Amino acid sequence: MPSKSLSFSLNVNGKDFKLNLLSRTTLAEALRNNLGLTGTKIGCNRAMCGSCTVIMDNRPIFACTVLAAEALNKKIETIEGLETGNKLHPIQDAFIEYDAVQCGICIPGMVMSAKALLDTNLDPTESEIKTAVSGNLCRCGTYPNTVKAVIAAARQMRNSRVGGMLSE
Amino acid sequence: MVGCSLSKQEFKPTLPVEGWVPSSLPRELSVIGKPLNRRDAREKVNGQAKYSTDMIIPGMLYAKALRCPHAHARIRKIDTSKAEALPGVKAIISMNNCKEWMTYWYMIPQPAFPEEIAYSGQDVAVVAAIDIEAAERAIQLIEVDYEPLPAVFDPLEARKSNAPVVPILDVNVNATRSGNVHSSDVFQRGDISRGFKEADVVVEDNYKLPGQFHADIQTRCCVTNWDGEKLTVYESSQGVWNVKLQLAKSLDLPVDNVRVVVNYMGGGFGSKAGAQRYVHYASKLAIITGLPVRFELNRRDEFVSHPRRYGAHVNLKVGAKKDGTICAVQCKCILDLGAGSLYGGGISDMILHHIGEAYKCPNMHVEVTGVYTNTVPTGPQRGVLNPVGVFCMESSIDDLASKLNIDPVLLRLKNYSQYSSEQKKRPYSSKNLDKCIYQVTKEIGWSQRDEIARLNLGKTKRRGIGMSSYVLARTGYPPYNAKAQLAIRNDGSIELKTGVVEIGSGQITVLSMIAAEELGVSLDDVKILWGDTEGSLYSPSSHASRITTEMGPAVLQAAALAREKLFQLVSRKFGLKSDELLSVNGKIYVKSNPSLSISFKEACSLIPPDEEIFTTGSRGYNSEMEVYRQFGAQAAEVEVDLETGEIKIVKIVSAYDIGRALNPKLVQSQFYGAIMMGLGIALYEEGDFDPKSGILLNSDIHQYRIPSSLETPDIQTFTVEADDVHYPYSGKPVGEAPLMGVLPAVRNAIFHATGIKVNELPISSAKILELEAN
Repeated sequence: MPSKSLSFSLNVNGKDFKLNLLSRTTLAEALRNNLGLTGTKIGCNRAMCGSCTVIMDNRPIFACTVLAAEALNKKIETIEGLETGNKLHPIQDAFIEYDAVQCGICIPGMVMSAKALLDTNLDPTESEIKTAVSGNLCRCGTYPNTVKAVIAAARQMRNSRVGGMLSE
Repeated sequence: MVGCSLSKQEFKPTLPVEGWVPSSLPRELSVIGKPLNRRDAREKVNGQAKYSTDMIIPGMLYAKALRCPHAHARIRKIDTSKAEALPGVKAIISMNNCKEWMTYWYMIPQPAFPEEIAYSGQDVAVVAAIDIEAAERAIQLIEVDYEPLPAVFDPLEARKSNAPVVPILDVNVNATRSGNVHSSDVFQRGDISRGFKEADVVVEDNYKLPGQFHADIQTRCCVTNWDGEKLTVYESSQGVWNVKLQLAKSLDLPVDNVRVVVNYMGGGFGSKAGAQRYVHYASKLAIITGLPVRFELNRRDEFVSHPRRYGAHVNLKVGAKKDGTICAVQCKCILDLGAGSLYGGGISDMILHHIGEAYKCPNMHVEVTGVYTNTVPTGPQRGVLNPVGVFCMESSIDDLASKLNIDPVLLRLKNYSQYSSEQKKRPYSSKNLDKCIYQVTKEIGWSQRDEIARLNLGKTKRRGIGMSSYVLARTGYPPYNAKAQLAIRNDGSIELKTGVVEIGSGQITVLSMIAAEELGVSLDDVKILWGDTEGSLYSPSSHASRITTEMGPAVLQAAALAREKLFQLVSRKFGLKSDELLSVNGKIYVKSNPSLSISFKEACSLIPPDEEIFTTGSRGYNSEMEVYRQFGAQAAEVEVDLETGEIKIVKIVSAYDIGRALNPKLVQSQFYGAIMMGLGIALYEEGDFDPKSGILLNSDIHQYRIPSSLETPDIQTFTVEADDVHYPYSGKPVGEAPLMGVLPAVRNAIFHATGIKVNELPISSAKILELEAN
C-alpha cells in the first residue's frame, strides 16, 4: 500500500530531531532506523514481548505499535537517555549489581518499564513491580533479580532525593 | 551455600588438558568464588550492546523466505519470473537454481530446497531485494504449483507401516531409516521379567511431554558480506566456529575464507547452536549478488521454521518389593523428531541418565524410538531430553510411594545409588545428591506434609508439597576440541583469546575469572576476545552447559603456562628459582619472604617490548576412571483451586551439587533461568498443531505462553559445594541442571494437594478440572 511521506520533528531524550518518514513508520522503526537508537529492540513487532518499551509523556508504551507520527509534540524517553555523562541511572546500576541481565535483549524495555514505575512511585511493592514489568518477557528468566534490582534502585533514589533535599 | 568438604586451597588437580597439567595454586583463591558482576552488563543496560539485529551495512539487501503452506507436498513447478521482474529484486534462490545444494546443521547435510516439502513453514524460495517491502512483494509474486500429499503429525501414527512417509531433511538418515522410524535404542540390564515377578507392587502410567519452542526474544538475524573471496557473517548464534565450519562445507569455501562474528546474542537456549538454514540462504545470496544481505526472521518465522524441542510419549512401569526396594524398571519412549532432527545415540542416552542411574535397580529395560512426522524439525533446548527421563521416573516414584504408603523421600533414599552401575562399580567423580535432597526437603517444610494434607480435607483450595531429584551428564563432548590462547605484553596488558560466544550465562566473565585467578591479577586486568572466529582457535559452541567444563580447563592451562613464563623472567632477574614465586592480587611475591615483591605490571616490563608471552591451552579427554554426572533436588509448594483448576506455584526450592560456584551471582541467575523455563514446560508451553493441516496455530508469543514476571514464584536456591578434581576449581556445569526437577516436583506437589496425577504436560487448569471430574 502506498504510504505518504511526512516531515516532522520528534522530541527524544530531550532533543528535537527533524525527520522525513513514511506515514506508516512506527516509533520503534524511527528510533532504530532513522535516529540510530538501536537500544530499543523489536522482538515481536506486535506489542507482545515488550522489548520495544519506551516512555512517551511519562507512560511506558510499546513503540512497535505506535506510529512515529503519533509521537508528535510528545516527549519520548529511550534507554539511551538514561545515562548522564558516564553515570548510569540508579536502575541501570541496580540491574548490574543484582544481575538482572543475562542475554540482555529484553533489558532496555525492562529498564524503561521500571523507570516509568519509579517516576511515579518511589516505594513500590513487589507485586507492583511484577505488574509494571509484566509486559516485558525475558526468556532468560531474570525476573526474581528484576524485582530485587527495582527495589534497590527505588531505595537508592529515595535516599538521594532525601539527601538532595537536605543539602538544599 | 551448603558446605561439604570444599578445601580452601584448590584440590590437587587432575584437569582434563592436553600436555602439561598445571599444579594447584598454593594459596587461597582470590577471584574464583566471588560474586562479581558480569562483564557484559554495562553495555546491555545502557542500550549500547549491538546485536546482529542492530547491524546496518549501507547498501545491504533484505532477504525474505517464501514458506510452504502445506505440511507435505511435492513442488511441480516454481515460477519466479514475475518476482524477478519486480524493481528492486536482486536475486531469488529456490530449487530452480539450487538443485544439488546442501545446507548443514551440526554437519548433518540437508537439501537446501528439496522438491518434496516435509512441514508447513519450510522454505521454498528466498528473495534478496533492496528493501524489505520489495522482498515481501516479490515473495507474493512467486507462483508455486504444489501437489499436496497426505501427511502425518502424531508420532504414534507415523510409526505405523501404512503411514505417509515423511521426506526427512537429514540426507544421511534417509538412507538408513525404516518408514518414519529413525531407530530404536535399547538399554538393558538384569532380567526384566524376573524383576517384575519379584515385585509386590507395580505402577504403570503413560506420560506425554510436548516439544517446547525456544521463543528467544531476539528473533534470528544475520548480515552476510562477500568480498569476492571471503565471506563475513554477523550472526545471532551460540557458536561462531560451528557456523563457520558448516558454511564453509555448504558453500564449498576454504575454511579460512569464512569469518563468523557474534557481538551479542539475544537468547539461544539450544536453538542457535549450529548454523541454521536461514544463514546459509543469506550467505548464498551475498555471494550471488556481491552485496551484503540482511536476513531477519519475524516472530512467526521463528516458530514455524526453526527446530523446537523433541516431543515424547512415554510408558513407564516400575516394580518394587513391599519394603520399597525397586526391582524392575521398564520404559518405552516414542520421540517426535519432526521432519528432521539432531538425533542419535548421544541424545537418546539423555533419557537414561536419570531412569538408568537415579536408583539402584538390578533389572531394567529402556527402549527409545525416534519417529519422524510432518511437523517443524526438532533439536536441543535447555536440558534436551533429560527432563523426559526425570519427569516420568520421579512421577512414578511418588506414585509408588503412595501405593506402598512410604514417604517419597525415604523411598528415594532407600534406593539411592552409589554407583552408575552396581555391576561395574565405577565411582562418580563426585556425588552429593543426598545433601541436596536434605536441603530442599528441609526448606520446603517436608515434616509438615501430613499436616498439610489433613488441613486440606473439605477445602476447595488445596496446598501441597512435592519434590524430585535429578541426574544428568554434561561434561563436554569428544573430541573435546577447545583451545584458548593468552598473551601478556610488556605494558602489562593481558589478552585472553577464545572463540566462545557469550550467550548471557556468563561465559566471558567466568573464563576471564579463571585467567585472572591463575595469573594472580584482578578480573578487570584481563581483556577477553570472544565471539569471533578471526583471532581465535576452535572453540565449542555455548550449549550443553559446556563452556566452564570444556573451555575452562583450556583457559586455566593457558594462563598457568603464561604465569610460569613470567615467573621465569622474574626469577632470572632476581636470581631466584621460579617455583619460589607466587602471584596474587596484582603482585608477585617470594613465597618464603612475602615482603619481597614486585607488581605484576612491573614484572611484565621484563618482557622484551617487541615480544609477548603467548601460550595456548587445550582441553584433553575425560579420564576413564570415573563417571561424570551432575545431581540435584528440587521441591515445590503449590496451591490448587479445585473449583477453577487454577494452579498457583507458591515456592520452588532448588539445590544443586555444583562442586564449587565459580561465581555465585551468575550461578544464581542460571538457577532462576532454568527454573523459569522448567515452569514453562510444566505449566504453560505447548505447540498447538491443527490436527488436519499440521499448521502451528499458536505461532506467536501471546498464544504460545512463556512465563512472565507474574508467574514468578518465590524461588530459593542452594549450592552444595564439595571438591571434584575433574572440573576447573571443582566448578560443575549449571546452565541446564536446575530445570530438570521442576517438572516432577510441581506434578508431585499437585498430586499431594489433590490426589490428581497429571501426567501430560503442560499441567493446565482444564486438565485439573477434567481429571477431578473423573
